[in-house]
Amino acid sequence: MKISVIGAGYVGLTTAACLAEIGHSVRCADNDEGKLNLLRSGRMPFFETHLETIVQRNHAARTLQFEEVENAVKGAEAILICVGTPPLDNGDADLSAVANVARIVAKHATGHCLVIEKSTVPVKTGQQLKRQLQLYAGNRLQCDLASNPEFLREGTAIHDFFHPDRIVIGVDTEWAAAQLREMYRPILEQSFHCPVHPQCQHTPKPALIVTDTESSELIKHASNSFLAMKISFINMVADLCEATGANITKVAQGMGMDPRIGPAFLNPGIGFGGFCFPKDVQAFVRIASQAGCDFSLLKEVENINKRRIDRFVEKIRQELWVIAGRKLAVLGLAFKPNTDDVRFAPAIELIRALVRESAIVRAYDPQATEKAKAVLPNLDYCSSPYEASADTDAILLTTEWDEFRALDWERIRGLVARPLIIDGRNMFTPEEITAHGFHYISIGRQPAFSSDDEVFSRSKLGAALP
Amino acid sequence: MRVAVVGSGYVGLVAGACFADLGHTVLLVDNDQQKLAALKGGQVPIHEKFLPELLDRHRGQRLRFSEDLHAAVLESDVVFIAVGTPTTEQGEADLSYVESVATSIPSALNGYKVIVEKSTVPVYTSEWIRKIILRHAADPDSFDVASNPEFLREGSGVTDFLFPDRIVIGVDDERCVSVLRTLYAPLTDGSYYQRGDAIPRPDRAQIPPPLIVTSTKSAELIKHASNAFLAMKISFINAVASICEAVGADVQQVCQGIGSDRRIGHRFLNPGIGYGGSCFPKDLKAFRAVARECGYDFRLLDEVMHINEEQRQRFLRKVRSALWTLRGKRLAVLGLAFKGGTDDIRESPAIMLVETLLQEGCSISAYDPAAEVRAREVLPASVQFAENPYAAVRDADALLILTEWDEFAALDLERVHGAMKYPIVIDGRNLYDPESMAEQGFTYYSIGRSAATPEVRSSPSNVPPRAVENS
Ligand SMILES: NC(=O)c1ccc[n+]([C@@H]2O[C@H](COP(=O)([O-])OP(=O)(O)OC[C@H]3O[C@@H](n4cnc5c(N)ncnc54)[C@H](O)[C@@H]3O)[C@@H](O)[C@H]2O)c1
Ligand SMILES: NC(=O)c1ccc[n+]([C@@H]2O[C@H](COP(=O)([O-])OP(=O)(O)OC[C@H]3O[C@@H](n4cnc5c(N)ncnc54)[C@H](O)[C@@H]3O)[C@@H](O)[C@H]2O)c1
Repeated sequence: MKISVIGAGYVGLTTAACLAEIGHSVRCADNDEGKLNLLRSGRMPFFETHLETIVQRNHAARTLQFEEVENAVKGAEAILICVGTPPLDNGDADLSAVANVARIVAKHATGHCLVIEKSTVPVKTGQQLKRQLQLYAGNRLQCDLASNPEFLREGTAIHDFFHPDRIVIGVDTEWAAAQLREMYRPILEQSFHCPVHPQCQHTPKPALIVTDTESSELIKHASNSFLAMKISFINMVADLCEATGANITKVAQGMGMDPRIGPAFLNPGIGFGGFCFPKDVQAFVRIASQAGCDFSLLKEVENINKRRIDRFVEKIRQELWVIAGRKLAVLGLAFKPNTDDVRFAPAIELIRALVRESAIVRAYDPQATEKAKAVLPNLDYCSSPYEASADTDAILLTTEWDEFRALDWERIRGLVARPLIIDGRNMFTPEEITAHGFHYISIGRQPAFSSDDEVFSRSKLGAALP
Repeated sequence: MRVAVVGSGYVGLVAGACFADLGHTVLLVDNDQQKLAALKGGQVPIHEKFLPELLDRHRGQRLRFSEDLHAAVLESDVVFIAVGTPTTEQGEADLSYVESVATSIPSALNGYKVIVEKSTVPVYTSEWIRKIILRHAADPDSFDVASNPEFLREGSGVTDFLFPDRIVIGVDDERCVSVLRTLYAPLTDGSYYQRGDAIPRPDRAQIPPPLIVTSTKSAELIKHASNAFLAMKISFINAVASICEAVGADVQQVCQGIGSDRRIGHRFLNPGIGYGGSCFPKDLKAFRAVARECGYDFRLLDEVMHINEEQRQRFLRKVRSALWTLRGKRLAVLGLAFKGGTDDIRESPAIMLVETLLQEGCSISAYDPAAEVRAREVLPASVQFAENPYAAVRDADALLILTEWDEFAALDLERVHGAMKYPIVIDGRNLYDPESMAEQGFTYYSIGRSAATPEVRSSPSNVPPRAVENS
């Protein structure tokens, strides 16, 4: 199929490259000329595992091309809208980019085409889009509209494209459904040559869920809101564990073994972040209230999340007393591992809070340093976790990169001013860390102290016992 | 092993019967004389699949009943506390039954015994039980207190007990772990499942089930947190259903879409008239109180409860909007139990709805395959109870489906249609497909989906404008 993808961000570029990989002829467009030039010259605007190879291969084979929006939509059988939909100040999604694209499509698209909203948009956006297209194209253009929400996760985006749990399409014509089935046929049948892992033919076929447009639009917001709620819930339970002396790892394990709950997303931490959860929860609350429904449940999910950073700072304060002037290593800036995305990353917010309290912060992230520099220009960025740890009063773990699981703790023990680790992601069992002579503070578990420091540990443990 | 189970309600009776089936010698204790007499006389006081079989199999042999708690503890190695833990006025768990059992134990400690809390209790309860026993001058070496929360669901209690998703054992002393492991060994080593007379294996059973050992506090929290999470899942989808109604989406499709995300899962994404029963409402309140005690305001749980109440109100509004006025209307009600497969009506949304509708001047003719006897005890005498669904709907102005019994999803719709005065169905459990109901001639209201009427399939305001093809 001749497909054009509008928006060369995380979603758009991934989708474009993968659609090309499964045999379509894809033109990927963006209104950011710089980004297009970067891509044409074979460089990536952001980091995503496996993406670069796929882009380069298909760009070389000319199955993936980068163009201006006006050109890209000409002659396309399917147009995927993947532009950003960031939150406005009032929590509504900003749909101006989507509207812009609609106007360009109305003006420049030709023939019979399918316009697919892939960006996360509020329910009823499809109806608005249709109206726009009709308004601006009149009789010139024959086009159908579909909703096809994207569920990929940054860091595993390529894997998620090829092996999704489900593909949701919201359509109101048979033709639109047929087009989308055709577009995703290799994925639905799991009949492609997998670029991620060659022996993966045996993965289960994803479910294809065909709905009306409104239901499909709701599915995306509802899914993300549910997952965010799961995170806030377990974070609350983690606080209760701290207060009562229970262990959140065990509690989450016990809960997660109930298949109606499931173990995924029951990891306590410093809160959810990223470009999707915070904005989608906020948008869903707004959508509900505009529909006359009060979704205070989700407002509480947000409230719990907002308090996570404060609680983490409190943990630090409990250990260090005065934060001002303390040297702190922050390991991890991205909102989650395997991505360089720092949008709404809890680590960034944490650093802001610490800097406000005049702490001296040294930061390290395997991928996200460049992106972080744009939002926190005056920070001391280090090129390794060891460099970051030198002479610090505490090491804060804020993103669960695999790299951090394999640190040479003995070496770090020799570098730090004080052997204290405060883990916002529960990456370790307390014993793993205390064995190296560190004190280990985590989320929803009792503080653990290295036996090296007996006086300290006895007094602290005594206080911790109920 | 010799096991005493104190409290012969849903949990105690099922647990006792199952422990007997695992080969242990079980003494079931209760202070309700009538219940004991019934049990001894061969009756089964609750509706639970496979329970009659197990009771028949073991009654008078490995399974005996008694009101003498003291004697029962004397004779046992393990004592399960499975008495009720209702809610106090303040929304906390009322632990007085647990306490009264605990105070009777010390005088019967004639050797090392493990006291296990099976009832759902707030965190710290096991410590209290220990303290109470010690306060009666018991030897600390003569007992341990463990937590072994129960996850069975009424209606499938026996199957859930014998094919659990997990067994959680909370201990603070290693010494009692082996006792509890031995007790559950026939399940965890898989030998029970090889027996010819084992209770049939359900779909999706994990065999053998995993057993996890935690501290007592973690075990106590696991139970409360699990139930609170599940209630939250229900309230979440109920809130989404309301949005669906407002924007003309279909909540069943939305459920399919979000449930197929493995991190979410389909189960418990059933929109309806809210959760009820003896566990969720009370456990949520108790968990809320636990959090408050710890200095946390768990408002998320308030919102879960709020949505749940709102869900009943929304259903009433739906009935009103379908019938306009209520006084004098004759309503058929299918389902009174708080969910399908059980006769339990505690905190049943169906019962609450029936009570409200009676107050509004409706007359009710109700049918429930199992809960009628219990419902008669709480509902006013004016409620008529029908022999079957078809008798219930006779001459009715509308049919309300309030419990998801399997048989209600397989009604002979033509017969229903013929018997009713007006073919209006208000389905609080989404058992039918709106379009096919309309085709059968019903006006059909459900949760989170557009209403369907025979003439116009769905109400016009909710139909999105058709595509602009060729225009
Ligand atoms: N990032 C994720 O993990 C993820 C997952 C699922 C869904 N989504 C949704 O997908 C959408 C895109 O997200 P993203 O993370 O890819 O955003 P992004 O910011 O990385 O990419 C958006 C791209 O669109 C381009 N753009 C903006 N306005 C444009 C216009 N008028 N014409 C052409 N191009 C334009 C931008 O230059 C940018 O390259 C959002 O609605 C988001 O909610 C994101
Ligand atoms: N019902 C469920 O589905 C379920 C599931 C898991 C956990 N639980 C928990 O298990 C506990 C019991 O629930 P249930 O539904 O079986 O309650 P229930 O009311 O059916 O049974 C409690 C029994 O205990 C007896 N009892 C009360 N005080 C006693 C005493 N001092 N001595 C002897 N017997 C006494 C009562 O007569 C009654 O028979 C509760 O804490 C509940 O939260 C229930």
